Amino acid sequence: MSPSFGRGAMTNSWSDLQNAEVFLIAGSNCAENHPIAMKWINRAKEKGAKMIVVDPRFTRTASKADLFAQIRPGTDIAYLGAIINYIIENQLYDRNYVLNYTNALLKVAKDYKFEDGVFSGYDAKSRKYAVTSWGYQLGSDNKPLKADSLEDPDSVFSKLKTHYSRYTFETAEKITGIPAVKIKQIADTFCEGKPGTILYALGMTQHTTGTQGIRAYAVIQLLLGNIGKAGGGINALRGEPNVQGSTDMANLFNNLPGYLPHPINTDQSIRDYQVRNGSVQEKPLVALLKAWFGEHARKDNDFAFSYLPKINPSVNASMVKLFEMMDKGQFKLAFNFGSNSLVSIPNRQLVRSALTKLDMLVVSDLFEVETAQFWREPGVKPADINTEVIMFPAAFVYEKDGTLTNSSRWIQWKNAALKPLGEAKPDLEILDSLFKRIRKLYDGSTDAKDAPILNARWDYGEEASALKVLQELNGYDETNGKLTQSLADYLKASVGTVSTGCWIYAGVTGNGNLAARRKNSDSTGLGLYKDWSFAWPGNIRILYNRASCDEKGQPVDDKRKLIWWDAANNVWSGNDGPDVVDKTKGPDTPEGKQSFRMNPEGAGRLFAANYMSGLPVVPSADGLPAIGVRPAGLCVDGPMPEFYEPTESPTDNLLHPKVSKSPVALILSSSPEIQKMGKANDFPHVLTTYGVVEHFCAGGITRNIPWLNELMPEPFAELSKNLAQKIGIKEGDMVEVSSARGKVTVRALVTDRLQTYKVNGKETETIGMPWSWGFASLSPGPSTNELTIAALDPGAGTPEYKVCLVNVRRA
Amino acid sequence: MTRKMILVDTSKCTGCKACTVACKEWNELPAEKTQLVTSYQTQKDFSPKTWTYVTFIEKYKDQTMNFLMRKAQCFHCGDPACLKACSSKAIRQTESGFVVIDHKKCIGCGYCTENCPFGVPKVDQTLQKSFKCTGCIDRVENNLKPACVQTCQTGALMFGDYSDLLGQAKNRLSEVQKTHPQAQLYGEKEMGGTTYVYLLMDRPEVYGLPVNPTIPLSLTLWKDVVRPVGGIAVGGAAAAVVIGVFANIVKGSYRSKDD
Repeated sequence: MSPSFGRGAMTNSWSDLQNAEVFLIAGSNCAENHPIAMKWINRAKEKGAKMIVVDPRFTRTASKADLFAQIRPGTDIAYLGAIINYIIENQLYDRNYVLNYTNALLKVAKDYKFEDGVFSGYDAKSRKYAVTSWGYQLGSDNKPLKADSLEDPDSVFSKLKTHYSRYTFETAEKITGIPAVKIKQIADTFCEGKPGTILYALGMTQHTTGTQGIRAYAVIQLLLGNIGKAGGGINALRGEPNVQGSTDMANLFNNLPGYLPHPINTDQSIRDYQVRNGSVQEKPLVALLKAWFGEHARKDNDFAFSYLPKINPSVNASMVKLFEMMDKGQFKLAFNFGSNSLVSIPNRQLVRSALTKLDMLVVSDLFEVETAQFWREPGVKPADINTEVIMFPAAFVYEKDGTLTNSSRWIQWKNAALKPLGEAKPDLEILDSLFKRIRKLYDGSTDAKDAPILNARWDYGEEASALKVLQELNGYDETNGKLTQSLADYLKASVGTVSTGCWIYAGVTGNGNLAARRKNSDSTGLGLYKDWSFAWPGNIRILYNRASCDEKGQPVDDKRKLIWWDAANNVWSGNDGPDVVDKTKGPDTPEGKQSFRMNPEGAGRLFAANYMSGLPVVPSADGLPAIGVRPAGLCVDGPMPEFYEPTESPTDNLLHPKVSKSPVALILSSSPEIQKMGKANDFPHVLTTYGVVEHFCAGGITRNIPWLNELMPEPFAELSKNLAQKIGIKEGDMVEVSSARGKVTVRALVTDRLQTYKVNGKETETIGMPWSWGFASLSPGPSTNELTIAALDPGAGTPEYKVCLVNVRRA
Repeated sequence: MTRKMILVDTSKCTGCKACTVACKEWNELPAEKTQLVTSYQTQKDFSPKTWTYVTFIEKYKDQTMNFLMRKAQCFHCGDPACLKACSSKAIRQTESGFVVIDHKKCIGCGYCTENCPFGVPKVDQTLQKSFKCTGCIDRVENNLKPACVQTCQTGALMFGDYSDLLGQAKNRLSEVQKTHPQAQLYGEKEMGGTTYVYLLMDRPEVYGLPVNPTIPLSLTLWKDVVRPVGGIAVGGAAAAVVIGVFANIVKGSYRSKDD
């Protein structure tokens, strides 16, 4: 999303789903995993909206679809590429939108190439791309050259057209198993309904090509002019465990809060940081340093930039990789808060082995989850394990104050409803007392490396207050200590005079605790609910809403007016907060034309080009490297989505058999005895894994709730009637499912909801298994991640949970 | 209190089962040991501790899957067979339309179980009492929605005044019929008009529901013909025999083959 639109967030909101005319739900089983979505989808359906579901299985979501297609797991880009091709060939795109609000006309660098499944700049040794050739042709002003027409062979649009000309419905059928006529039907249904929205979740991201799958959605939605509009957008359904909030707070290893790029080991100063990340990041970085180090962050010490840890950009420290490092003995101590890694990490043998390498493991959870009990898993000898395990009893969500940020980017405050049970404590209290005690241990140290700990501004009170934390995120005017009133005030303030712990949250507590607002009236009828909680940024409910207007700044959809240019008063105004550079800059100004202001081009990116805006034409007199304004978000695996087979696949890539799999996917290889690879000869079937509505994530909580265990008491393997007949089993029998990495025995659920399909002419089977079980809890069961593979998306580090090869037999 | 209705709009139900948890939570019913029955269904039938559950039916024809979910609970009939069958006058019908069992009077004889065309009430053999959905009458009479309705997120369960909601149900039906011509209301006419009315996506028999549920003829004969006479003329022993005969007829006719 970020390389396409500028922000890595769901574009619209739950309550906006009611405005859609058509839904493409692919890679999301929202009826089960985001049940609230169906409330709003049902409202749209009542008004006649069409619902398309593409999924490896006929799910509970599919039961409500007007059109369903069963797809081979991990092949989405093939059919989406065919839809892109169809849209371009039949000129179904929104011409005005494409010309004005995307980079379609910009000229791509002459040395950009795509040949035999590989983009230009590939280095086979490091398995990485150099991205320099993915840029634009620049003019003398360092701005991209613009073609006169879409037909210009150098234009982004022409590159797109050529790239996807290989993707026909027939080719897509051979790859995905979806009949060509059905793919055409999906394309027609989706293109006819405007606005149309796309919903996805982990079904789309948990692949070695996850990021590119979402890019394919972005290309379709930009072509159809569906971004920035009520009822349109790409709705990335984020999970209930505050997934949006935790990514906002930098749970990704290469971020700082507010999606600031993390400093790297060659950044000696904030200036160096800006050379790589643009001058636009200076202010939020300094504001963050002010929030964290207060008066110790001053101009004369480069705002304590040296206090920040610097990462090595060649090391991918995503979750699975951490366990690989742990297994190699890199860590002595691990804190495991609210995660049940021994159940949730793919190829869990890695976790089982890695945890034994620690001196100490601290687990903070409600229950003694599997991860905390790894030393007594059946088959493990406790005497052989030297890791000391400490358990912190954690308070439950209803036992603590604080905010949850939902998928709509709504920061929602809640008060504790109950006192924590027994010795349980809220996370904040645990972390606060830990930090205070750790700081005491460093008391009096003059060692430079201890300065960040001693000089941290840590003032959440004697008993840490969640509201004070939220206020720190909102930020202060550091000249007078008052809370920043709004995002606009933060933007107006000069560098170094304002602090914020997460700049996108600026304004959330400026004028009272806006996150606590609960006014659910909606005069617009569009489900904007702007007085309910606070949406980042600046309470904008629908991102990029400038694109809902025409060149004159007037709404193109009379029924769904979001914002407009009020010429009489010379201001952007509307039902929603205008997502524009400057509210006073009209649609005929360069600022007022920008529909995607977080992108350096100010436009949506069909081609994710390498580009930094605002680079000076004349080199600076002091000879220092130039600082541009804003860099583009990049995908490390290509500027346009390309179809690659999953890491373990039953077939070769039909488009380029020599480069069958993603040439840059991260496949764990440090422990070959743990990470074995399977071949289709031995493991002929495709396994896909998922959650069920009855259990939550790794089941750490829900498997200890009898009422939920009653509703889903055990894991199972779903398989087609064909396959059941072949291996001689009937519904309810036990089966053994095995991969190159492990095997589990579960109950068989024989169903018509999975059908045998043809891939490259060969009959193929998908087996589906939920993954929420482990050996502990009131309802123990085998963990499906015994089977899965630790292969990761090279950009996001997301594991390919959704595809691996297995065999199945009667147990 | 006016007559109430709950519309179960199966076209909006996603089988999330939240209603079943809400029911157990409000009514303080313990979980029971289960395993997968078929599809995603783990609760096979009603029990003294399970008053509502969701059935899953997979119908695959002409390469099209119909995955049908239906929340099952007491229908709260307009003309309840259980009430008629009850030997101890423990069952009554409230003004709002709900059919409730008074456990002080219930002796666990099981006539309600035998006579219900939907097999709803179940007798707890230890307590010797019959149990079923109460319609959350304790909530309803305090102006709250039944727990299942309160918790439903998708809009599949709606609660309101009978006449209003029935009108809405009919409008909704004509919409649904555009894509599902077999869709129909179930409970509008059945059993004297039930309090839980269903919008089904297909014919009732596809869901395993009786096509024309009626009060068993045997029960009508017994209650309306034999007993009024018997009360005067027939001795106790003879009456017992008659009950036994009718109970067997009922059992033979209305219990499913699996039992």
